[in-house]
Amino acid sequence: MSIQLIRQAFNGNRPPQRMWHSHELKEQYDVVIIGGGAHGLACAYYLAKEHGITDVAVLEKSYIGAGGSGRNTAIVRSNYLTPEGVRFYDESVKIYEQLSDELNFNVMFSQRGHLTLAHTDGGVNTMRRRAEVNQIEGVDSRLIFPDEIKNLCPYLDVSDHPRYPILAALYHPPGGIIRHDAVVWGYAHQADVRGVHIHQNTEVTGIKVKRGKVTGVETTRGHIKTGTVLNATAGWASTITSMVGINLPLTTIPLQACVTEPLKPFLDVVVVSGSLHVYISQTDRGELVMGASVDPFSSYSMAGSLTFLEGIAGHVLELFPSLSHVRILRQWAGICEMPPDYSPIMGFTPVDGFLIDVGWGTYGFKASPIAGKTLAELIATGKTPTLIAPFRLSRFEENELVGEKGAAAVGH
Amino acid sequence: MRTEQDALTTTSNRLHPKQGEVIDRSTTIRFTFDGVEYTAHPGDTVASALTAAGVKVLSRSFKYHRPRGLLCCSGHCPNCLVQIGDEPNVRACTRPVEPGMEVRAQNVWPSLNRDLLSLTQLGSRFMPVGFYYKTFIRPQKLWPLYEHTLRHAAGLGEVDIDTPLGEFDKQYLHTDVVIVGGGPAGISAALSAAETGAQVLLFEENPALGGHLRFTVPLESSSTTKASKDLPELLEAVDRQPNITVFTDTSVLGWYQDNWLCAVKGARLFKIRTKSVVVATGAYETPLIFDNNDLPGVMLGSAVQRLVHLFGVLPGGQVVIVTANEDGWDVAADLQSLGVNVAAIVDEREPSACASPYREGLTNAGVPVFYRHTILEALGSNEVRGAKIARLDGQGEISLATAQSLQCDLIVTSMGWTPATELAYMAGGKSEYHEDRAEILPVSTPPGIYVVGRAAGTHAVNSQISEAQRAGSNAAAFVGFGEFDESTAYSSGVLEPRRTSERVCVPGKKKQFVCYCEDVTDEDVETAIAEGYDSIELLKRYSTISMGPCQGAMCSMNTIHLCARANDWTVQETGTTTARPPTTPVTLGALAGQNMEPVQTTPIHQWHLDHGADMMVAGLWLRPNHYGDPAAEATSVRERVGLIDVSPLGKLQLTGPGVPELLERIYTNQWDNLRVGRVRYGVMCNDEGVVLNDGVCAHVNDETWYMTTTSTGATTIFEWLQWWLQSGWGEGIHLTDLTDTYSAFNLAGPQSRTVLEKLTERNLANKAFPYMRLRSAKIAGVSCRLLRIGFTGELSYEVHCPSGYALHVWEALMDAGREFDIAPFGVEAQRILRLEKAHIIVGQDTDAMSDPLSANMAWAVKLDKPDFLGKPSLMRISAEGPKQLLVGFKMVEPNVVPDEGLQIVESEADGQLKIVGWITSSRFSPTLEEAIGLCWLPPDIASQNGASFTIRMDGHLAEARVHHGAFYDPDGERLRM
Amino acid sequence: MLLLTCPNCGDRNVSEFRFGGELSSRPKDPSALSDAEWANYLYMRNNVMDAQTEWWHHNVGCGLWFLAERHTRTNEVIKTYPYVKRET
Repeated sequence: MSIQLIRQAFNGNRPPQRMWHSHELKEQYDVVIIGGGAHGLACAYYLAKEHGITDVAVLEKSYIGAGGSGRNTAIVRSNYLTPEGVRFYDESVKIYEQLSDELNFNVMFSQRGHLTLAHTDGGVNTMRRRAEVNQIEGVDSRLIFPDEIKNLCPYLDVSDHPRYPILAALYHPPGGIIRHDAVVWGYAHQADVRGVHIHQNTEVTGIKVKRGKVTGVETTRGHIKTGTVLNATAGWASTITSMVGINLPLTTIPLQACVTEPLKPFLDVVVVSGSLHVYISQTDRGELVMGASVDPFSSYSMAGSLTFLEGIAGHVLELFPSLSHVRILRQWAGICEMPPDYSPIMGFTPVDGFLIDVGWGTYGFKASPIAGKTLAELIATGKTPTLIAPFRLSRFEENELVGEKGAAAVGH
Repeated sequence: MRTEQDALTTTSNRLHPKQGEVIDRSTTIRFTFDGVEYTAHPGDTVASALTAAGVKVLSRSFKYHRPRGLLCCSGHCPNCLVQIGDEPNVRACTRPVEPGMEVRAQNVWPSLNRDLLSLTQLGSRFMPVGFYYKTFIRPQKLWPLYEHTLRHAAGLGEVDIDTPLGEFDKQYLHTDVVIVGGGPAGISAALSAAETGAQVLLFEENPALGGHLRFTVPLESSSTTKASKDLPELLEAVDRQPNITVFTDTSVLGWYQDNWLCAVKGARLFKIRTKSVVVATGAYETPLIFDNNDLPGVMLGSAVQRLVHLFGVLPGGQVVIVTANEDGWDVAADLQSLGVNVAAIVDEREPSACASPYREGLTNAGVPVFYRHTILEALGSNEVRGAKIARLDGQGEISLATAQSLQCDLIVTSMGWTPATELAYMAGGKSEYHEDRAEILPVSTPPGIYVVGRAAGTHAVNSQISEAQRAGSNAAAFVGFGEFDESTAYSSGVLEPRRTSERVCVPGKKKQFVCYCEDVTDEDVETAIAEGYDSIELLKRYSTISMGPCQGAMCSMNTIHLCARANDWTVQETGTTTARPPTTPVTLGALAGQNMEPVQTTPIHQWHLDHGADMMVAGLWLRPNHYGDPAAEATSVRERVGLIDVSPLGKLQLTGPGVPELLERIYTNQWDNLRVGRVRYGVMCNDEGVVLNDGVCAHVNDETWYMTTTSTGATTIFEWLQWWLQSGWGEGIHLTDLTDTYSAFNLAGPQSRTVLEKLTERNLANKAFPYMRLRSAKIAGVSCRLLRIGFTGELSYEVHCPSGYALHVWEALMDAGREFDIAPFGVEAQRILRLEKAHIIVGQDTDAMSDPLSANMAWAVKLDKPDFLGKPSLMRISAEGPKQLLVGFKMVEPNVVPDEGLQIVESEADGQLKIVGWITSSRFSPTLEEAIGLCWLPPDIASQNGASFTIRMDGHLAEARVHHGAFYDPDGERLRM
Repeated sequence: MLLLTCPNCGDRNVSEFRFGGELSSRPKDPSALSDAEWANYLYMRNNVMDAQTEWWHHNVGCGLWFLAERHTRTNEVIKTYPYVKRET
């Protein structure tokens, strides 16, 4: 690793190093990962790095990071409600904290602090409940009140004038934002270096199953033989899983976001309001990135709506009345699939060799490293790591749902 | 340093008055730029006034802080972004000057002209595209410090924390045809569509209709002469046409599903539903990429024409025109006729390819023309001092040996156009690269969407007009007015000289900017592609090209060409990025409009405020939390009598013979045996067995039932019941939402009967009107429904009355209670009272995963009745046993109240705490004078009355004990008094 | 904004309606189902990227629950129609 770095440093005039390469599609791979987002690429990387499994193909129907990985608002946090959720996301935050070093690519993880505002008594209680669970699980998180909120975020209106006055907030100092694309590219690069084949513009059109076991994958570029397939296509997971005849407990719904023109820095924390369905942060480039709760009806369309823009503008001005002159530059939508208990679905399915990493709702990007790592372990060892055992598909049949829905509202 | 005196006298760039200009020279107004005072005329934009005053540098670039001046003068590029007062990122080239305006340069330190941050350029070798991904990695501890520096170097304008919210509004518009763009094409389309009788809305982002005809003034021999002479006629025809409504200064921001358009004019947002759309949005002139192409003084031809003709401002005295089309010659002729020294026309074409009508005149006038030449570099440090040009060889390569420098203070490029087709693509239009025209043009659009004019690649005005007339009548025909013109919907293949060069970049050795917003150079693009970010989407995300304020208006076409070349792909293979709204940046204020956060208040709201109520948010409702002392309010209910406004309760009336069967299915307990006049408490679950709502339901008469729901769940339950009724359950049942029709108050306390008796003739004696009964009665002359129920644990009557009389009834009750010292009580006192009775609140003590068997409501679940919602799930929970139980508790230390949300823990062997439960409700009970609460616990603890457990409080552990049953009056005697 | 045709009120903005999810019917006799079958009814969804039949409620209009066939990739509404209980 370090030798490579030094070589790079002295080769300043040579053509730049390619981050990943194009390959012919091989006839056979040990593992095929469907979906070239942060999850799929992270899994490929950990398979190669930690388990020596390098005969891996990552199939991406578009360009890497084209789905949720490149469309989310890049918030990373671990202040969840359930101990299972907290432990899982805390591991993810820990990996993120050293990910730039590990990938030798600056993913610009900015642990600037994360505020979830409470506007009602019930909201305050939920925040306290989360803070307590977080603290017990060793995660830095506490309930703070308007004076301290104002110090952390002077532009917030903490007066009692707004329709929904701010009563308190859950403050989570290690939470923050990251450069989402960089996570995708960093994982892609390090997977590529280790021999993983990343196939962009390669769409899966079918999955072969014989006697209950996966035998291959059909793509727009040809057939691949393989005994292990991971479906890491959150958003589109139902469409892939239906190829092996399995239904999932998922509904795909658009989630929209928008960004403003760049401004000098004035917002140092991530601000989330469940009551107002909004989350907002300022990127290192100075833009405000803002998102809302999922759309009011299911769809795979990523067209975006005016209703969203109008709504979010109103809600942002409720919180930050001085931003009325700030201009929205661009809006976009991604799609996410909501499971009934707002918790992911990971691991085995009734089809042997067909694994899933789906149901990522609005909380998938922040889990990329730990999801990739635990699924790589599962693929390599055939055993489900304890950390993700609660998220198995069979929990629905077993009536063992995860309670993350209790914190519902806006999960960012 | 420029002095104020200098500024006021430097007005030499102003031309003599001419026809078509938009400034009012009879008046002079003053404004400041970075503290220096300047003058302007009404009609001037900030940029035109500054240009008139000789100011060339308006901003500094995003990354390298290079000086930047006017480029497009049409509100699309980032070069003139300034701060005006508390408004950041204002485009100086389109914002009219107002007296006293304070304009400031953005993101400069210490000043625009001496910006030390431009020193970053010295290190630009170390800051290639995406440098931040490759640096500041180790030691990671220092990243926050680096990040701080990066953040403070980035960003443009500033947000002033004292900015007032301002006033904004919205307007809905409905029409047959929307025309976007009021140039010759848009106007013509509007006229044709309107002639058929269709209603037409015509939107123009500039202050006046006319498009490029407002500032292109062709000479006698021009092919466009006829049209431009016709402009006044066109405008007059628009004026005369009653079916056309014109919106100027109005930008159409986006096309959304089913022809839902959004437009903005200042502080007003328009939401427009139309049946068809004609996109006549013109084109962005495409900049040329060459060495130092961002130097102030390098401008687009159309920008110069705008300055000259609209504002009478000449941006330079000696000009080199770099072109590949007739548009450049138009500019040259224009400037030459105004007495500008045209130092050279540099045309990359062969002389034979030039079809400009001005060619002869300009050549005869001695203007040097360099055919088969192009520009290599803009010379000068802070502004243009000259241009270095060179000859192209037979292969189109630059012959460096022929390089020569020309003196000038203005370089104009007219190299071609990028059609402004965003709206067409948002609407689902498909595009194709036309190699012969070097433009990406729409090839198909969904029915009812038409693209005309420059947006469709049609540049000659007469062609634009005829094409637009056809599209206008077709748009109207699509809506049902007139006949379709069967010739093509729009034509991009009009026979006219090509306007756009394929040469987008002249390779060089210095900085050449592809993207002005983000300071991305051609070298950056090549590097990014070589690194693997080869597709247009990855290239965009990695280099941030087209992600800045111009949103690709200036750079998208050039980027596609560079990307195609570097990958050895065709332009068609390279493709485009997705067009996303808004087409023009729009303020949060305009999008938000007036504050429309809905608020629901009860008829007693003002009374509450007048009596000192502290209001709280409860869903959409505002409710009195308390009137000063909630504990005292609770005590007054326990000891005397109190009155609470519970009007937000959901109130539903069900009539029909099938109601009992429906109730059996939607509630978990039994209903078919509830006799008339009786009231019962019920819990509703969904099929997962999760508690949705609770409340009471009364059997009013034979076929009429009256149901209450929680206040926040009222709408949901109403819609949910409607669904069950309409999808097959409860045939013939009529469901009416009376939530707003009726108001409701709970008169509670041992004296409540006595108080109520004063206002009614109805016999209220316990025997005549026992607990859990419903009676009709006139209260203070108003027909009311009385429900004798007891959430508070005291004798109480819920009085439901028509909302129109609510205040009268409320005041009558308060008057009648005065002699008993009645007190109004709020939500907080009610919470205390119900907690003393260990009554749960759905949504507080339960969450989106709680079932009634676990939530201490097994008594309200009848598993042996036929199918009801949630039964199979509850059967399973019952068989497997609940995992957690909701139960009451008392603190061992009676004065310690654990906050709601605190966790119940067990210490494990390794000293770690394990979460076993949590507190959902807790209060200090004024009646019992000790802390009480409800919590979730594992069944083995919860099932033992008095079992001890520990709560984590402020880091230490506090002991509590399980308490079964109500804390107060466990046998419910006081309810039945 | 998407237009939905309410069988009673005609074309209205989608913001007037509440989405009720893909069409599924409650089992006729839940007690006859295994836990797995019941869980399947409760949680599993087709979630197609294709034409989907689904419930809508005109909640700020006439209050009708009706069915729509909508393509979930394009949001194109193919048709809307009132629900008619099928006798089985």
